[in-house]
Amino acid sequence: MMQAELLFRTPETRPMPSPYPGSIEKYEVIIDRPKCSMCGICAEVCPSCIGSSTIDYEAYQKPDGYLRLAVPKISCTGLSCKRCVDKCPTNAISVKLSPQYVALGDLRWTGDLILSTWEQAETGRISRRYESRVGNSGGGFDKLRFDFELDGEGICQDGLLDVEDRDTSLALNKRRDGRPEIRIPIPVYGADMSFGSVSLNVMLARAKAAEAWDTFTSTGEGGYPDELIQYMDHVITQVATGHFGVTAETIKRARIIVLKYAQGAKPGLGGHLLADKVTPDVAKIREVVPNISLFSPFPFHNVYSVEDHYRHVQLMEDINPKALISVKVSTPTDVDMVAIGSYYAGAHILQIDGGFGGTGAAPDIAKKNIAMPVEYAIPIVHNYLVKEGVRDEITIMASGGIRTAFDVAKAIALGADGAVIGTTELVALGCKRCENCERGKGCPAGIATTDPALMYFIDMGWGSQRIINLYSSWKKQWSYILHKLGLKSIRELRPRCEVEFRGGRFNHMAHLDHLR
Amino acid sequence: MKVAYERYHIAVKEAPPRVKLPPKFMVTRYNNCTNVQECMQACVYGVHEAGKDGKIAEPIHDLCRGCYMCVLKCPKSAISIGMNPEFEKLGNSYFSPDMIKTIYFEAETGRVPVSGAGYTGPFAGEGFDGIWFDFSEIVRPTRDGIHGREYISTSVDLGRRLQSLKFDQKHELVSNVPRTVEIPIPMIFDAPLSCRTGPNLQLALAKAASELKTFAILDAREYSSELTRYTASLIPRIKPDEIDSFENLVRMSQIVEVELSDGDVEDQLRNIKAINPSTLVCFYFPYDDEAPERADTIVKTGGDIVHLHVEDDAVERDPDVIKNAIRSVHSYLVEKRTRDSITLISSGGIGEAAHVPKSIILGANAVAVGIAYQIALGCRVCHGGKHSEDCPINVEDEDVELAAQRITNMIGAWRDQLLEVLGGMGLREVRRQTGEVGRAMFHEDLEAKVFGEKE
Repeated sequence: MMQAELLFRTPETRPMPSPYPGSIEKYEVIIDRPKCSMCGICAEVCPSCIGSSTIDYEAYQKPDGYLRLAVPKISCTGLSCKRCVDKCPTNAISVKLSPQYVALGDLRWTGDLILSTWEQAETGRISRRYESRVGNSGGGFDKLRFDFELDGEGICQDGLLDVEDRDTSLALNKRRDGRPEIRIPIPVYGADMSFGSVSLNVMLARAKAAEAWDTFTSTGEGGYPDELIQYMDHVITQVATGHFGVTAETIKRARIIVLKYAQGAKPGLGGHLLADKVTPDVAKIREVVPNISLFSPFPFHNVYSVEDHYRHVQLMEDINPKALISVKVSTPTDVDMVAIGSYYAGAHILQIDGGFGGTGAAPDIAKKNIAMPVEYAIPIVHNYLVKEGVRDEITIMASGGIRTAFDVAKAIALGADGAVIGTTELVALGCKRCENCERGKGCPAGIATTDPALMYFIDMGWGSQRIINLYSSWKKQWSYILHKLGLKSIRELRPRCEVEFRGGRFNHMAHLDHLR
Repeated sequence: MKVAYERYHIAVKEAPPRVKLPPKFMVTRYNNCTNVQECMQACVYGVHEAGKDGKIAEPIHDLCRGCYMCVLKCPKSAISIGMNPEFEKLGNSYFSPDMIKTIYFEAETGRVPVSGAGYTGPFAGEGFDGIWFDFSEIVRPTRDGIHGREYISTSVDLGRRLQSLKFDQKHELVSNVPRTVEIPIPMIFDAPLSCRTGPNLQLALAKAASELKTFAILDAREYSSELTRYTASLIPRIKPDEIDSFENLVRMSQIVEVELSDGDVEDQLRNIKAINPSTLVCFYFPYDDEAPERADTIVKTGGDIVHLHVEDDAVERDPDVIKNAIRSVHSYLVEKRTRDSITLISSGGIGEAAHVPKSIILGANAVAVGIAYQIALGCRVCHGGKHSEDCPINVEDEDVELAAQRITNMIGAWRDQLLEVLGGMGLREVRRQTGEVGRAMFHEDLEAKVFGEKE
């Protein structure tokens, strides 16, 4: 298998900093002006915060009379260092979490995860400055730890440097049915995001990154813009209930076709694209009238049983006999039954989209309250397919709330083969998850928008390199995890037998612990 | 002539709040700003605008949605965005600032809250937050209620039901079918907190209940003469020893609510039915360990409705209590084979739309919405909802029309969200959701199933 690994080219990591002059700093250095003797010791002892002995005294006054050091491009490593605070002869310096950091992010995507993802997208490297592995949601991935994490400290680039690359590739067709063998070098591909929910530049950036990593991205349900055709070997065509812009041609073009039965952010409901975002360009490709809200029906009205499901898969196979079929479902109580149904319907890939999945627009009630989180669904489906003796004939891709390299590894250790990544790719492009993608012009950062003035904030080349960098950093982290666990390939991380926890510990491989 | 079929519709209309909520974000511009106005270009929400003198004006915090574009685009790092401490102080540990903000949005617009990006909250929580709904996928059809393509009924019946019908030899019905009252939404209004009760609030509540074709419970002692035109939509709450003194109210009302006491329930029932034989009698009692037996007694003595209440303070202390309350009473009645004879209304801790179907799936037939409608009118639950004199908002100052519209809007948004849930679950009517715990997923069950029992 190492040979297969060698065949993959690893794209080059290149620094790709934020295009903006400002930044969001985790820590704030405050100098009490009346106390400060301007001796400059702080600058001398600071390893990174201030960088050189030439303090930029272009500080400015806060309304309350304190001075704040202008450190726009320089990052303080924060409370664990505090050398400047300790060495200041007049006790004039204090370091605290900056208010912008405190207001950034949420429990699932903490400020740390956002800033860490940005850092990885900028540099392809990971630092100890941020908690880059878990969020603060209090359950699921945030409560699971690999054995080696329990006593170790945070992960950072220094620990990754001397780890040799491991095999992280994933074969997507396990059925041996004569259809193409597709193997991707990293166990992830890009999630379905439609033209309309995101801009064309974002789609192109994602597609270009997918090409560079020899993996995939997906059209989402909003049609197949012509500009994407040049990347067609790396673009999955989605067939969703709205059938927006779906033609025999776009189905024939794809190496993988995804049938979207449900979406984790709004299970049981169809896709939403509110009127403001249905611009003439979007309307044209979706074959609809502009400026009218689009609500996809739910479900596929030709699929009300596993037999219908089989015929639906067959229909796709008839149109494109060379494509692999992926079935995207969410997580109801009987997700294991749905999974086995999809196996017998002929799916090559089963994508389980957990209840906390991302979205361009969804009712809040659905995002929070319908369907189970993917952390439960993966082992339930995996165990059931193992019991039925078909687990090794289908690829399970987990999605819906998978944010970090460690989340991917945990999903695999729970029983998935790989993961589908959506939100994290957008965060790599500068998304802060401010939840404003749904209406008006959409995203003020130019990501989830089709407003012509906003969409040019995202340069395609810049964006694709950011995503490439992110996955470079992830690949290093997966190699590190495999190295720590003594495994050769990421396939060995996926349990062969049923996943069962006893007293919070994973009985089989003792890789994963569930914290109480 | 028979009245033509009318589809139930809630008329929502913009109703701005009388008192604005404090903004969520505070935008600070430091005085090293050089007025390059990049922030003005960056902000699509209009937080940063130039004043008349051409200089950038004070940021408008209300419009900020936390996108940070001004922070990133400012060449001087002269802008900072932080949480507004005033906003974070709203509510209490149960009624969170975001919950209050959502109710405000629903009350103002009547729309379903929709947002981008995935779910942002905790993985799971106690009480209602530890429940996920099942939905239909591939093998079960869903229904599309919200966009009106398929009809989903949200009606429920209040009152007793027979377990079976009896017919004589001539096939004539001999069973005495008890009267029921149908309401088009599984929601009524609980009596306002005593500190808030005033004529304006009562009128607004009565008006909203009447427009929504549902009911509002009001303390009988606080009825005012202005409420007379709304009696068809009001349920007087009466202490058992005061039944006789409110004879008139009992006579006028379709439903009467009696506070459960140690007294003889049968006696009280007989008293009320003697005054008004057609009225339905609801017994109201707070949840405690004996609640299931109490409910069973009410069913056996012939009460029509059980109103199980959990104090909001108790829910705040332990959110699981509301879940346990409904489940224990429902299950006990199922065990006693009396559950289907009676209507169970639950109240307490209802702070968002999802809490309505969650109460129902736990076993209630309908809920009594309490503090949420007061939040819609400006209450901030600041002192556990119990303080009296110093309310900074003073709900009483509210204009009646506007207040009624805001309550109506909130319920309109909640009903649409109920339809989303029912549609996703593939249910044709909310009646079928009662007690359907098999279509709900509980955090503790999944946790035990996947990650093992606690040791």
